[in-house]
Amino acid sequence: MKFTRRHFLQSTAVAFGMPTIIPAAVLGRNGAVAPSNRIVLAGIGIGPRGREDLKSFLSQPDVQFVAIADVQEARREVVRVMANRQYNNQDCVKTRDMYEVLGRADVDAVLIATGDRWHALASILAAKAGKDIYCEKPCSMTIRESQELADAINRYGRVFQAGTQRRNVDNFRFAAELARSGRLGKIHTVHAGILPLQESHKWLPAEPEPARDVVDWDRWLGPAPWRPYNKDYVQGRWRGYYDFHGGAALPEWGAHTVDLCQWAASADHTTPVEFEGEGQTIHGRYASGVKLVMRLAGFKGEGNWVVPGTCPVRFEGDEGWVEAADTGKIAVSSPSLLAAGAPKEMAGTDPSKHVRDFLDCVKSRAKPAANAEVTRRGHIISHAASIGWRLGRKVQFDPVTESFVNDKDANRMCSRARRAPWHV
Amino acid sequence: MSEPLAAITPMNAFRYFIPAVLVLALSGCTTTVVNPAATAALGVLGSSADLHEKARACQELGVYGGAEAVPALAALLNHEHLADYARSGLEAIKDPSAGQALRQALGTVSGRQLSGVVNSLGVRREIAAVSDLQTLALDAKRGVAVEAVASLGLIGTTDAAKTLQSILASGPADVRTPAAHAAYTAASQLARDGHAAAARDLLQAAIRSLPPGHLATVAQAQMSALTPRP
Repeated sequence: MKFTRRHFLQSTAVAFGMPTIIPAAVLGRNGAVAPSNRIVLAGIGIGPRGREDLKSFLSQPDVQFVAIADVQEARREVVRVMANRQYNNQDCVKTRDMYEVLGRADVDAVLIATGDRWHALASILAAKAGKDIYCEKPCSMTIRESQELADAINRYGRVFQAGTQRRNVDNFRFAAELARSGRLGKIHTVHAGILPLQESHKWLPAEPEPARDVVDWDRWLGPAPWRPYNKDYVQGRWRGYYDFHGGAALPEWGAHTVDLCQWAASADHTTPVEFEGEGQTIHGRYASGVKLVMRLAGFKGEGNWVVPGTCPVRFEGDEGWVEAADTGKIAVSSPSLLAAGAPKEMAGTDPSKHVRDFLDCVKSRAKPAANAEVTRRGHIISHAASIGWRLGRKVQFDPVTESFVNDKDANRMCSRARRAPWHV
Repeated sequence: MSEPLAAITPMNAFRYFIPAVLVLALSGCTTTVVNPAATAALGVLGSSADLHEKARACQELGVYGGAEAVPALAALLNHEHLADYARSGLEAIKDPSAGQALRQALGTVSGRQLSGVVNSLGVRREIAAVSDLQTLALDAKRGVAVEAVASLGLIGTTDAAKTLQSILASGPADVRTPAAHAAYTAASQLARDGHAAAARDLLQAAIRSLPPGHLATVAQAQMSALTPRP
């Protein structure tokens, strides 16, 4: 007989003489989900953004969050308190070491929201441990990591959802559907809003390292190269540094907006074949002739976008266009495009539907909207475009081999050595 | 744009010029065409520049360096903080001398630095290192058996696969699970290289050695994907 968590609970109830008066919620009545049917979740590296994701997970009746692994004591304590308050108990376990979480047989899935340097490796380790994964974006530091991540998810048969939640946010879905359904005519150009491209190699001044139980600096660095400790990094100000932030910051929003462009252009199976930078704009071109324009947007309305808000996208066909951004608003070339009814406004940063999509797929074993394969290509495009920008010239890219064509320098930028002892 | 090597400015370029020429002369590379960025980075490595400047120079050599950069990078493989930076250079240099330098370092470095060198040999798919890695995979005293097994998986030749099979069958208990993970990676590589039978043998060895559960299921699934359908 196959031994399941349900059998475990049944057998232990008899063995340990559990109380005969059992709350209805425990049995799954009154709309509650019985513990044996809940998805057991743990967190790895949960900071401010991760806590937004976690709130969505905690609000789901079929999730039981049981443990947090974080290299910073302050962060793991905040998460422990959040979980215990939700369940009105003291059961959430906190640990510095993610392996303690990954080694737990009762954990079905993990929420990974570390800094970018850890995303791919932690996801791969989780896949090896048999966990399903919801991982914040950007999910990789390099083209090679994007490949390794998708290969591992495929090999280990795991459900993976990148935290590119806009695939499940209504106005973006509506916009993509307009493009995919042909209502804009033949799509010729898709636009992805990106943050300013930047890449700093500076080191902040060295500061004394805190005790390992307070901040484990060595584990915080993980696969990223060593540098002296400075509290700014661990307090979230690591962005913009080459060693911690892949793709010259292009994947920061590109993970969302390029991914949406791929979807809208029905190009999830491929990538552009060339990239050419022009200041802070990068022009990509697919083999089909469709253009991908990655151009400046920002928190203060930078760039020439019709719809206000962060992470804007615009899809243009020969019969019309649509634009959407994080305000939940949509702009279209003709009111008739909204005849089917514009969706209710929903903030682009809201992960609730995306989280639900992931949980449903954990149960059904189907692929969620931002699965490993679409994440692979969306991220590879962001990295490839940034490599062209770094080199300051046009680069040709082969979507099949996922490498640059006759370009030794560009191909050498496709991977980075991991700091020892980390490896896949 | 991306910052150029922070240490190199018109004002201090001369500071690095003499060390760079000396390094190139000593490595016998003065007649080959060397990228100017690599020359500058080598100058930094040959100077009294600080740790940060040298770390950055290693990264630059990962993009622009060639055989001429190998000796300077190899000399840092035992450095507490620069070893990983040096490997970032050596992993990317296609010239065989980079792989050779990493192999030579197997006998001279230890601890975390040895783990790093072993990992880099796997990333480079350094076939010439298979026999060294086989030895390390079975040598508990060197402390890098897990890394050696993973690198054998990345290299994924039939020879590497044989070692993994042997470990799966009768290797130390604590290396068998890493060997199973490595076997899956190697099986994919073997299949890509047209060695489907060897891939199946390897997966079969994993199935035999693993208790029922997630890892055995993975092996079964990979095996099914490799088996030709009638």
